[in-house]
Amino acid sequence: MQQPHATPAAIPDPVTPDPVTLAVVDNRLRAIVEEMGEAMLRTSYSQILNSSRDFSIALCDAQCRLVAQADHIPVHVGAMPWAAKSVAEAFAGNIHPGDTFLLNDPYFGGSHLPDLTIVLPVFAEGSLRFWSVVRAHQSDIGGATMGGYNPGATEIWQEGLRVPPIRLGEGGTLRQDLIRMLATNTRLPRDFTGDMMAMIGAARLGERRLQGLLTHYGAAGLDAAVSAVLDLSEAHARRILATWPDGTWHGEATLDDDGFDRTDIVIRATCTKQGESLTVDLTASDPQTTGFVNSSFANMRSAVAMAFAFLLDPEVSKNDGAFRPLTVLAKEGTVVWARDGAPVTMCTSHCSNEIVEAIIRALSACCPDRAMGGWGRRFRVAIQGKDARRPGRSFVWHLFHARPGGGGSSGGDGWSTAGEWHSAGGLKFGSVEMAEARFPLMFERHEFLPGTAGEGQYRGGLGAELSLRVDSDGPARANTAGDGIRHGSAGMCGGQDGRPHHYVLARADGTEQVLKTKSTGLAINPGDRIVVQSSGGGGWGDPARRDSAARARDEREGYV
Amino acid sequence: MATLTYRIGIDVGGTFTDVVCIAADGTETLAKAASTPQDQSEGVIAGLANLAAALNLPLGTLLARCERIVHGTTVATNALLERKGSKLAMLTTEGHRDVIEMREGLKPERYDLRLPAPEPLVPRRLRLGVRERLRADGQVAIALDQASLSAAIEQLRAEQVESVAICFLHAWRSAAHERAAGEAVAAALPGVFVTLSSDVLPQIKEFERFSTTAVNAYVGPVVSRYLGRLRGRLGEAGYGGAVFVILSHGGVAPVEEAARLAVGTALSGPAGGVAAAVALARAGLGQNLVTFDMGGTSTDIALVAEGDAALGRGRVVGGERIALESLDIVTLGAGGGSIAHLGAGGTMQVGPQSAGAVPGPAAYGLGGTQPAVTDANLVLGYLDAGNFLGGARQLDLGAAQQAVAALAEKLNLAPADCAMGIHRLVNARMADGVRVATVRRGVDPRDFTLLAFGGAAGLHASAVARELGLKRAAVPLFAAGLSAWGMLQSDLRYEMARSTLAAGGMPEDHEIASLYATLEADAREKMAAWYGGEIAVQRSADMRYGEQVFEIAVPLDDMDWTSPGLAERLRQAFHARHRALFTYDLPEEEVVLVTARAAAIGRLPPVASAARAAGAPAAPQGNRRIRLEAGDVDAPVFSFDALAPGQALRGPAIVESATTTVLLLPGDTARMNVGGWLEITL
Repeated sequence: MQQPHATPAAIPDPVTPDPVTLAVVDNRLRAIVEEMGEAMLRTSYSQILNSSRDFSIALCDAQCRLVAQADHIPVHVGAMPWAAKSVAEAFAGNIHPGDTFLLNDPYFGGSHLPDLTIVLPVFAEGSLRFWSVVRAHQSDIGGATMGGYNPGATEIWQEGLRVPPIRLGEGGTLRQDLIRMLATNTRLPRDFTGDMMAMIGAARLGERRLQGLLTHYGAAGLDAAVSAVLDLSEAHARRILATWPDGTWHGEATLDDDGFDRTDIVIRATCTKQGESLTVDLTASDPQTTGFVNSSFANMRSAVAMAFAFLLDPEVSKNDGAFRPLTVLAKEGTVVWARDGAPVTMCTSHCSNEIVEAIIRALSACCPDRAMGGWGRRFRVAIQGKDARRPGRSFVWHLFHARPGGGGSSGGDGWSTAGEWHSAGGLKFGSVEMAEARFPLMFERHEFLPGTAGEGQYRGGLGAELSLRVDSDGPARANTAGDGIRHGSAGMCGGQDGRPHHYVLARADGTEQVLKTKSTGLAINPGDRIVVQSSGGGGWGDPARRDSAARARDEREGYV
Repeated sequence: MATLTYRIGIDVGGTFTDVVCIAADGTETLAKAASTPQDQSEGVIAGLANLAAALNLPLGTLLARCERIVHGTTVATNALLERKGSKLAMLTTEGHRDVIEMREGLKPERYDLRLPAPEPLVPRRLRLGVRERLRADGQVAIALDQASLSAAIEQLRAEQVESVAICFLHAWRSAAHERAAGEAVAAALPGVFVTLSSDVLPQIKEFERFSTTAVNAYVGPVVSRYLGRLRGRLGEAGYGGAVFVILSHGGVAPVEEAARLAVGTALSGPAGGVAAAVALARAGLGQNLVTFDMGGTSTDIALVAEGDAALGRGRVVGGERIALESLDIVTLGAGGGSIAHLGAGGTMQVGPQSAGAVPGPAAYGLGGTQPAVTDANLVLGYLDAGNFLGGARQLDLGAAQQAVAALAEKLNLAPADCAMGIHRLVNARMADGVRVATVRRGVDPRDFTLLAFGGAAGLHASAVARELGLKRAAVPLFAAGLSAWGMLQSDLRYEMARSTLAAGGMPEDHEIASLYATLEADAREKMAAWYGGEIAVQRSADMRYGEQVFEIAVPLDDMDWTSPGLAERLRQAFHARHRALFTYDLPEEEVVLVTARAAAIGRLPPVASAARAAGAPAAPQGNRRIRLEAGDVDAPVFSFDALAPGQALRGPAIVESATTTVLLLPGDTARMNVGGWLEITL
């Protein structure tokens, strides 16, 4: 047995690493998270991970500072250290080599319940040196509705299984009884277990690679190199900030509703840029809501980091150093930081996206060339029913098609159907042919929808039109979860808003029903159609300044 | 003296066209000519003329005695990269004309929201919806509407397109609508290049199929014209034999096939190097190789596992998705010409900027002032300023030192330490590239041999292999021209694939048997038209578990195809493969057969290289002061060409030839193999 190790290693005496070691270590750390991501992609079981890639990988140091993170889903950027911190606090003085920790609870370092996080301590020379962290979205996490999105939830216990930081394994051995207990509380225990094993495998790969680096450079040498890497990223971010004018700006973004009694819920960002620092103050945001659009603390911090990362140069390393110039102020009890017990499942999309949009809107006056028009909002539909081609089996299908458009920017027009702020072109929708082969669905139309993009000097990307006929064996049921039928993607710097979403259930009998973004138990009959007109992206800059050649091209190619 | 016959491999690179000839007695001859990007066939003929001169034969005589020409061409690749393909249109299912521009919702560069969106290969106005629709099972939901088709064809006529891709939903299941539309287009618009998605890639998943078909339509006319010109020039020069083209999957096919499926030549260039690796693996180098082809601006990494090159279907060339089976080559944006600089983030970086051929590294003395990897290697003493490329180019040590010193000052380093740093950083990046390439294939690189070729690889092979924990590396003497040589070692290959989606995931035994029998018969028939020798067939299947979305390729060569229980054997083969790749399987889960594959292989008679003459071990031709991590040492310098088979060397040492330089580190032992490569044990 190895001896327990109570405390993280002390911060070593400053050793100045040479620039070559620094460059090599910086490259190695990025390569390690990339390799962990590849392993995760290869081994994960559920579609949401191996196809849509809804997972994130990070390495933190003993102080839980983000050292490196793989580029997967932007909404996880900067969120992972909170998970490591949560474990470090919960098990202070009781963390050992060979331990495996797990959590998902948004009130203990998680983002929302479907995101499981595996946290693995990495020891060297008798002390804790690093954390290897893997977060991944599960297909199901129990709770009242399949898949974890429950628009009817008024408290977190209705959203699924809560897992505060727990020790899932010790001495390198996993607690199988605990894994069974967790899996039993989900509707897809096999997916759950398979995906969790993939996460643990990726985290262990990270541990192994870090051990290699620790052996090569020694713990103190590697600590010094990591600290220097973080300092360089900080300096990089500060050099960029220094080029922005000083001042204070306000920006707002508005959620449609919480699915209960509140509409037009406002997120308010006051951004003060001074010298080489930026303060984002969200304290004036509206109070927390009854429904699940509230954010957890860690998710809010992550959304702010995401907005900041979007405004910096893309090549800035996304680590603790890069986020040091950023100060975040928020108030518990507001929609951006709900009190323990409130439902939060929608938060990785909403209100994450509104937090980003409010900040970008505020800073669009400070650094307009870096700002971009709003990206779309998420409006999910899940259909559950039976397929005559597969008797005796029910199906659940999740809508990932008909993505909204991205925002325009000084770089050009927005990307069409590339998605939302939180995914930014990182989530893939599946093949129409495959969907039709596997589900009783007919995609009668799935094309760009001209006229949806916000006008601007650079217009937004187009949303899409989808006409989806449901040919289920008998009635099917649908749930929705999302936002954005009242408010479109924001125009920036004089650009116009994109058109909001418009989803309709067109019944075979000719009647139509406009879909709400937060509803359960919608009855669908065979032959009914779901007709989606998804939102376009927000425009950037005064439309009057749009190049006439670009307008001519839009006309010629049918983008308007 | 008996009349020798010849086989000739031709590799058109960015700068040089390499021509390698192997005579029936095994003699190998290499000739070069400047590449001619406007019309690569001119450079090919010039290269052949140089070859004839080297052999002291009239060109006509050489070609008359030549029995096979295998060609690697970058015409398709360049057309795609430079966006100089044909003016093309797409006819597609009404209501679905944006498939190739939607790109499944994906965008590269996660944090670059200001990245401009790419121009689609087919502009939107030329993607025309035609009223027709098939269901997933191939049944007709909406018949092909003639009025709608005629209207689209009139639009194509008005736009004067050169090429048309016909891409209908579910056409992998039934090609009837695509064929009818294709015939109508061909009849109405003679001379227009028509390509059907059901011909190019009869597989489910419309984005991959449509994109691949669009690329075929884009490069098809260009490649056809080029190959036509090449045939013409070769004919005029006196050649009447078969011309083969090496394809992205590493096999070769007749020019006619390369013209039909032009998209299959998109990776023709680097395929030769991998083919050479496969040939060397079979010649005794070992069954498991990582190829490490380090050139001036980039480095290609590929795996040869159990003697076969790894294939994948995820290629993106010039931003366009190509889902055909292709060699799985990972390209890193760093090579000998890559520039070392202080990056925006404040750390030293190497690449992606490259000095290119002009001005080239500072040492070329053509005006380059920033330090390239080659400059660092010169400053460290690894290269000989007076004997670079066999003396073909004089290097300017002073200019290299100056360039390195300028960067060293910014980093507050001694110049020699800075040069060492550039060398180390490049090694680390290369090792990381190999790690990611191998973990993606689910293998541990430590059991592999690093096969280093390309001009710059020899100086980094030992260090990269050490970083990876490899025990063995090898550098072929014939490092330049290796691609052209590899083309002569490739077999003929023709691939057939057909998707199938049975309701229960797995078809019945008799359906599986007849599916493969049909595929195999078709593949054999095609191959028989090209090739009179014995034909081998490889069968495989893409399968997945019920709810997964990625299929994995399962080789089925050694399976029993006749006794009952075929479906179950396919399932078991899949479980086993899944276990091997991902450490676990799910025996209770439904197994889905998505695509059945058969490849017909015509084994071209191997061309043996002449055995190297035995001789006395060569003495070093001198000593050079070189810098290593531990400090400066005097290292013996050997001539690569002079090494006798079996001769052993011990690091530190330098081994030089006209095309490459190898650095042996302290602790390395090396032995010249009779097969023509230097084998390094670490």
